[in-house]
Amino acid sequence: MPAPYSRLNRRDFVRLSAAGVSAAAVLGPGRRATAAASPYPDWLPASSKPPKRGGVMTRASAWDPPVIDPRHTQSVGLFQFVGLTSNRLVRYPFTDEANGPADLTLKGDLAESWQGSADFRVWTFKLRQGVKWQNLAPVNGREFVAADVKYCFEQYAKEGVQAFTFQEIEGIETPDKYTVRVHLKTPNTLFPQNVAEPVAVLFAREVLEEDGDLKKRLVGTGPYTLKEHTRKVRIVLQRNPDYYDKGRPYVDEYVILSTPDAATRQAAFRTGQADFIWVASPSEAELIRKTNPQTMVQAYHNTLAPFGVALAQDRPPFNDLRVRRAISMAIDRQKMVDTVFEGHGILGWGVPYIYYQDTPPTAKDFGPWWQYKPAEAKKLLTDAGHPNGFSTTLFYYEYFPQMTSQVQLVQQDLKKNLNIDVRITKLDYTSYYGRYVESKWDGMSWGFQSGHAVGLDERTYMYMHSKSTKNFFRVNDSVIDDLTTKLRRTPDRAEQRAIAKKIVDREYDQVLRMWMPYDNGFLLFQPHMRNVAAGALRRSDGYGSPTLARTWMEK
Amino acid sequence: MQKYVMRRLLLAIPVLLLSSLIVFALMRVMPGDALTALMGESGNVGERELAKLRKDLGLDRPYYQQYGLWLWQMVSLNPGHSIFTNEPIAVSLKKAVPLTLELAALAMVIGIVIAVPVGVISATRQDSASDYVGRVVAVSGLSFPEFWLGTLVITFAAIWFHWIPPIGYVSFWESPWRNLQQFLIPAAVLGFRLSAATMRMTRSTVLEVLREDYVRTAWAKGLEGRIVVYKHALKNALIPVVTIIGGQLGVLLAGTVVVETIFALPGMGRLTVEAILFRDYPVVQTNVMLVAATLVTLNLVVDLTYAWLDPRIRYS
Repeated sequence: MPAPYSRLNRRDFVRLSAAGVSAAAVLGPGRRATAAASPYPDWLPASSKPPKRGGVMTRASAWDPPVIDPRHTQSVGLFQFVGLTSNRLVRYPFTDEANGPADLTLKGDLAESWQGSADFRVWTFKLRQGVKWQNLAPVNGREFVAADVKYCFEQYAKEGVQAFTFQEIEGIETPDKYTVRVHLKTPNTLFPQNVAEPVAVLFAREVLEEDGDLKKRLVGTGPYTLKEHTRKVRIVLQRNPDYYDKGRPYVDEYVILSTPDAATRQAAFRTGQADFIWVASPSEAELIRKTNPQTMVQAYHNTLAPFGVALAQDRPPFNDLRVRRAISMAIDRQKMVDTVFEGHGILGWGVPYIYYQDTPPTAKDFGPWWQYKPAEAKKLLTDAGHPNGFSTTLFYYEYFPQMTSQVQLVQQDLKKNLNIDVRITKLDYTSYYGRYVESKWDGMSWGFQSGHAVGLDERTYMYMHSKSTKNFFRVNDSVIDDLTTKLRRTPDRAEQRAIAKKIVDREYDQVLRMWMPYDNGFLLFQPHMRNVAAGALRRSDGYGSPTLARTWMEK
Repeated sequence: MQKYVMRRLLLAIPVLLLSSLIVFALMRVMPGDALTALMGESGNVGERELAKLRKDLGLDRPYYQQYGLWLWQMVSLNPGHSIFTNEPIAVSLKKAVPLTLELAALAMVIGIVIAVPVGVISATRQDSASDYVGRVVAVSGLSFPEFWLGTLVITFAAIWFHWIPPIGYVSFWESPWRNLQQFLIPAAVLGFRLSAATMRMTRSTVLEVLREDYVRTAWAKGLEGRIVVYKHALKNALIPVVTIIGGQLGVLLAGTVVVETIFALPGMGRLTVEAILFRDYPVVQTNVMLVAATLVTLNLVVDLTYAWLDPRIRYS
């Protein structure tokens, strides 16, 4: 699943149908179950009461890990729990430490402190002493040391899905057991953020050396050990008594039940078989609150949109800036938010706004080419030599049912406003993904960016630089290349914000990635759950799972 | 009889070979491969890296070599490993097949238990209120697809009764009660659909047989109605019913895909669908062949049942 947390399918459409039917049953006739503005808070502060130990926390999950080897996948299926079995060098704040969802202050995880050299090419991490690997074969609880970090980072660089990130490392020194010195090929002030990404977990070298891969055993230093992993049934995590953060975690067991059907997941929450759940729309949240009025709800606000219209901008007609601008101006994004996402959605932007401004962007922040102005769009397209429009194609995979409506709205808008005929092809996931990442397609695609990334470097340089293997939107803009490189060399937070803003302004101006509206969703918790709120870009049921080490249950 | 069975078994060989060729070709025609699907989780892999992984998985070999290797694995009853999870396929099947068999068997029992009595009642009380109710139920069963019925059942069970079957499969041997709780509702959903066609067929054949001379003779002899219907009429009416039940086995297996997904049961259906989506060639091919072999065998069993039901039928 490349981008979203929610990989929905036709089955989910049925869920919505059922939700509609059950809405009628619960709400009774004559009442609408939609809400334009969410009545729920966007943050659930940490509990002030002393935490209680014990209990079994359960969640019905849509995702199954394809493999449990973190070198070979960045799937949310894996990282919904690997962040609990394993640690990183540094991390983002947990729910009970954060001052709100947008708090991205780095905290030490297995590293107690870290410092960059003056030119930001060398990063030194001082490790926490006395950390032990879990008491499982073949590691058997030995001490975690600097050589483990060196080994892991080298393995990540050697092969697998994180190779591009770790290949920027030129060499690693371990001057003593608790010091790791990382030499980068080029300066990067954001390197600590990159190793704080939820996917940059540290694994035990003995497992890889003995098994040749990490597909069968998972041994880390985290708060939970992997007790059971039965594909398509359940994942059971058990409290690690040797966890370095004494007294934590609070919950004895965390059980993730594989539940591919959305209606079943909701039913599991309603009947108490699941302690928390994510739902997409206000009507679904309201519906569950009708039958479970004690439910705590967090309105989740996305800080970016993972999907947008990707154009083959390296070839005609989309290599003409006027054509890209015309298309962007011919699409009514607000209509999509209002109709497809019941008003609870974002207009769509690619770089998390929290890195360059304090409040979510509004339509005017996007500049002139992102406003819905069909007449001006038509004029631009005429100037570009297409007064009668043209024909093109668009392929997509339906990650969630609303996406098909979005694709069709784009098709309608382009036909109505620009006389552009868009032939839509809906593909299955593997066909779509294979074609999309090959980056040789013509016309348009409903493109994505990966869902796991929190850091600014990942969201800019990694996804937009012309040489990056993750530059799926085929951005090839020297200004963007310069800005994203400059950003990596800028340590000052205020300057970083200014550069990030320039990057997004450039992106809007050149219509390099045409982001589309996306939903926000809601996290629903049983009333006994404490310290479980989701942070921006880190949903506690997904890549933000490490925060569950601080969760406890008042029952 | 033995010769007939032998001939049918020999005829199954080209059928299975043809099936193997079709499924092998279809999987290769579909764009993308397992590696694409796996990497789809990340999107951060260079061309050289992809080529290396593809080679490691044997996906770079010519098709005829891949087909030959797979065929040999099937013949030697060692279907190999999943290229997606690396789990031996035999192990996956050992986990999934009993579950699907249990679900299908329960569904079949529920379907027959509903269909045959309702069909007989409908036939013996033709055009009465109970006949109309039975027919409406049958038409409903034909009209409601499993995905709709399953979703409604689970949603309304949660809303009205605050109960759904426990999620997280456990085998019958681990906990019989929990296992039954998990299977009864999905089996009822499947069985309800299965019962519809069977009930209609039972009704029409029983109606037909009830008009036969020998049944009239039985009535004339003063036999009890229950004996006339169940002993004399029903057994002779069952051949078309058995045929339709046999024909529905394929539909039943297809239905398990949906029902297993809704009720979170890790059976053959989910295994196959996931393997198709992730282009896990060996798993899909093995599963399809297993289903094909099962259907061939069951068809043979159905044919042999005719002879048991009607002693006049002889195979030579």
